[in-house]
Amino acid sequence: MIPSRTSHSSSIGPGVVPRGADPAYDEEVKREYDLRKNIPHLGKGSKGRPFSIDPNVGVMTRTQTPYVTGTSVLAVKYKDGVLMACDTLACYGSTKRYKSIQRMKLVGKYTVVGFTGELSDFDYISTLLDELEMTDFCQDDECPRTPKEIYNYLVRVMYNRRNKFDPLWNSLVISGWDYVEKKPFLGCVGMIGQHYVDDHVATGFGNHLARPLFRESWKEEMTEQEAEKLLKSALLSCVMRDKQMMNKFQLSKITADGPGEISEPFAIDTRWGYENYVNPTKYAPGAW
Amino acid sequence: MEETPVDFLSIPVSTGTTILACAYRTGVVLAADSRTSTGAYVANRASDKITQICDNVWMCRSGSAADTQNVAAYVKRMVEEHAMERNGTGFRENESNDRAMMVDVRVVAKLTQKIAYENKEKLQAGMIIAGWDRVRGPQVYGIPLGGSMLEAPFSVSGSGSAYIYGYLDNTYKENMEREECEKWMTEAISLAIARDASSGGVIRLVTIHENGCEKQCVLPKDHKVCDGELEQVATTTTAMV
Amino acid sequence: MSGIGTGYDLSTTTYSPDGKVFQVEYACKAVENGGLAIGCKCKDGVVVAVEKLVQSKMLVPGTNKRIHAVSKHAGMAGTGLVPDVRTVVDRAREEAANYLSFYGDAIPANVLADRMAHYYHLFTLYWSVRPFGASVILATKDSNGYHMYVLEPSGECHKMNGCAIGKNKAAAKTEIEKLKFGEVLAKDCVKELARVIYKIHDEKDKDFECELGWICEDSKGEFRRVPKEVADEAIALAKAALEEDDDMDDA
Repeated sequence: MIPSRTSHSSSIGPGVVPRGADPAYDEEVKREYDLRKNIPHLGKGSKGRPFSIDPNVGVMTRTQTPYVTGTSVLAVKYKDGVLMACDTLACYGSTKRYKSIQRMKLVGKYTVVGFTGELSDFDYISTLLDELEMTDFCQDDECPRTPKEIYNYLVRVMYNRRNKFDPLWNSLVISGWDYVEKKPFLGCVGMIGQHYVDDHVATGFGNHLARPLFRESWKEEMTEQEAEKLLKSALLSCVMRDKQMMNKFQLSKITADGPGEISEPFAIDTRWGYENYVNPTKYAPGAW
Repeated sequence: MEETPVDFLSIPVSTGTTILACAYRTGVVLAADSRTSTGAYVANRASDKITQICDNVWMCRSGSAADTQNVAAYVKRMVEEHAMERNGTGFRENESNDRAMMVDVRVVAKLTQKIAYENKEKLQAGMIIAGWDRVRGPQVYGIPLGGSMLEAPFSVSGSGSAYIYGYLDNTYKENMEREECEKWMTEAISLAIARDASSGGVIRLVTIHENGCEKQCVLPKDHKVCDGELEQVATTTTAMV
Repeated sequence: MSGIGTGYDLSTTTYSPDGKVFQVEYACKAVENGGLAIGCKCKDGVVVAVEKLVQSKMLVPGTNKRIHAVSKHAGMAGTGLVPDVRTVVDRAREEAANYLSFYGDAIPANVLADRMAHYYHLFTLYWSVRPFGASVILATKDSNGYHMYVLEPSGECHKMNGCAIGKNKAAAKTEIEKLKFGEVLAKDCVKELARVIYKIHDEKDKDFECELGWICEDSKGEFRRVPKEVADEAIALAKAALEEDDDMDDA
C-alpha cells in the first residue's frame, strides 16, 4: 500500500495531496486502488480523496509565531502566601524592545497572574480577566473569585483555543490567597492547556534554570525572607543564562492580609567575579 | 532566494521604512522617510507614510503598504462613527463644534490594535498612533507586528529603526520643546536613512498640539550629514512640475 | 369602544386623537407605584437613594436591591416594576462592557445615557412589546467628571442636577430643589438624601429600607453602595430629624 503523503504546504494546510497535483503519484494510487474498487470514495467518478480542511472555512493557516515576548516567570509558596517574580522586558525577536512592561497582573484582590510568551495574547487574556472582574464587581456580593477559580477558568480558555488549532502563545502562572480554604494557591497553565499546581513553579526557560534550584532549596513553612532569598537567587541564575532576561524585576506578594502587591522595579546584585572573565584560558593554556 | 534588481515584478510593495513618533512637552511629532520599495526598486520616492485618522490623531505606517493603508481606512471609518456618537448627542456642556472630530488618542490606538490583533496571521503591519487630546495630553502608542499595544514616550518602527535605537535611547530627553523635538527626530531619521537602504527620500514631519496640526517636509540638503557621506548638492530646491 | 378617545390605549403603535401614547403614560403610572428614588449631583460626585418598600416581614433584610452597579464607573437606582429595572440594568451592563471591549476605554456618560434612551424608546414603537414600567437614575463618572441622568419609560433622557422618580416624586422634588447642587459634598449629601427619603415616606405604606449608593471621590470614583457606617449615620440622623418634626407638629 502506498502511504498517503501528508501535505505541509502552508497554502493547502494539513491534509492529503489533492488529485491532479502529482500525476505520477495519482497513477500509482490508481493502480493500487483498482485492486480495491469497492471503496466508494476512491472509485471512478469520485470527487477527491480524504481531506482534512474544513470545507466551510476554506484554506487557512494557523501557524502562529510569537512576535513580542516575555520570558520566564518564577513563583514560590511560603508559609503566609505566595511570591512571584519576573523581569519587565518584552523582546521583539532578540531585540530588547520594551523595557518597562509589567508582566504580572492583579486580578481582583487575591490573585496575581504572570505571563511568559506573546504580549498581545496576554493583553487579550487581560481583557477576559477584566471582564470577569467586572461581572464580579456588579454582583456586589463581597464574594470575589478565588485564585483556584481563576486558574480553572484560564485552563479552559487555553485548552479551548488549542483545540481550535489557534493557541494563545503564553504560559501563565496563577498565584493567590485562597480565602475559602485559608491557604496559598500556586498553579501554572501552558499554551496547550497543560496545567498543574505545585509549591513552586517556573515557566519558559526558568523551568530549566530555576526549577532545579527550587527543588533543591524549597521547603515547607518557609518565611517570607527565605522565600524572597530563594527567588532572587533563582532570578540571578536566569539573568546570567537567559539572553531574553534583563536585570529589572518586579516581585508580587499575596497573603491573607488583603490586596496583593506588585513591587516597584528593582535590580538584583549580580556577580562578575568569575575568574575566566579576566583570564579566559587559565586552565587550558593554548586554547582560544 | 537571491534578490535581483528586477524581482520587484513579483515582490509585494512594502514600506521598508523608518518611522518615529515622540511626545514633547505640549504635543507630539510624527516623522517618517518617504521611500517605498519593491525588492531593490524604489517604487515610490515621495510616499507619505503618515496618515491622518482624525483631527487630533495621526498614524505612522510600516510593513506592507496595502495592509496598512487598509487598516488606516478601517480605523478612520470606525473613529468617525465613534466621534459622532461621542461628540454629537447634545448631552455635553461647554463643547464647541470645532472639536467635533476630536477623539481620545487611546481609543484610536485600541481600535487599530484590535484590527492588528484579530488579523495577525494575515497582516504585515507595524503602526504607531500618536496624537493629543484634552484628557491625557500628548500620547504615543506603538502597535508592533503581533498586535500588542504599548504606550511610550517615543516609539520607532520599520527596517531603519534597528540602526537608531542606540541613538534614540542615548539622546532622548523628557519634556522637550517643539523645535528641539523636531530637530532631534529629523536627525534620527537622517541617521537611519544613512545606513538603511530601505529608507530614503525626504523626511516628513507632522506635529500635533492643542491648536491643531502642521505638516513639514525636510529635503535631503537639510538632513544631517552622516559619516562617510557628502553634503547634498541641490540646485533646485523648489518642487519641480 | 364608545366615545372619542377610547380604544387608543391598547398599543403604543397608535396615537390618541390628541396626540398621546397612552401605554407610555400608563407605564409612567407603574413607575409611580414603586418606591421613591432620588439623586443629587454633588461637588465631588453623585449620590442616589431609594425608598425600598418591603412587602413582607419575612423578606431577608438587605436583599432585593434597587441600586445596581453597571460597571466600575456607573450605576443605576431604579424604581417601578422591579423586573423591568433589572432588565434595564442588564442592558446597561451589556452596553458598558461592549463599549469597553470595543474601544478599550470606559463608556462616556453621554454615550451610555444615549444608548439607554434608545433602548427604552425601542419598546414604545412596536405592537408586540410593552414599554418599561420603570425609571432609572443613572450616575456615572467619565473624563469630564460626574454626571447624572434620568431615563423614563417614553425613552426620554434628561441630564439632571437633582431628581426624584417614583412614589411622591412631586413632594420629594420640592425638598431636593433646596439642595445646593454641585456645591454640597457627597458625604454630606448622603445625609440630605436619607432625610428626604424618611420625610417623604408615607406612613400608610408598609415598612421600607433606605438604600444609598454613590460614585464620588470618597468611593475612589467607583460606583459603590454607601459604606455601612456612613449610611447608618445618615439614617440615624434622618430618623432623628423626623422625630423632631413630629414633636414640632405635636406642639
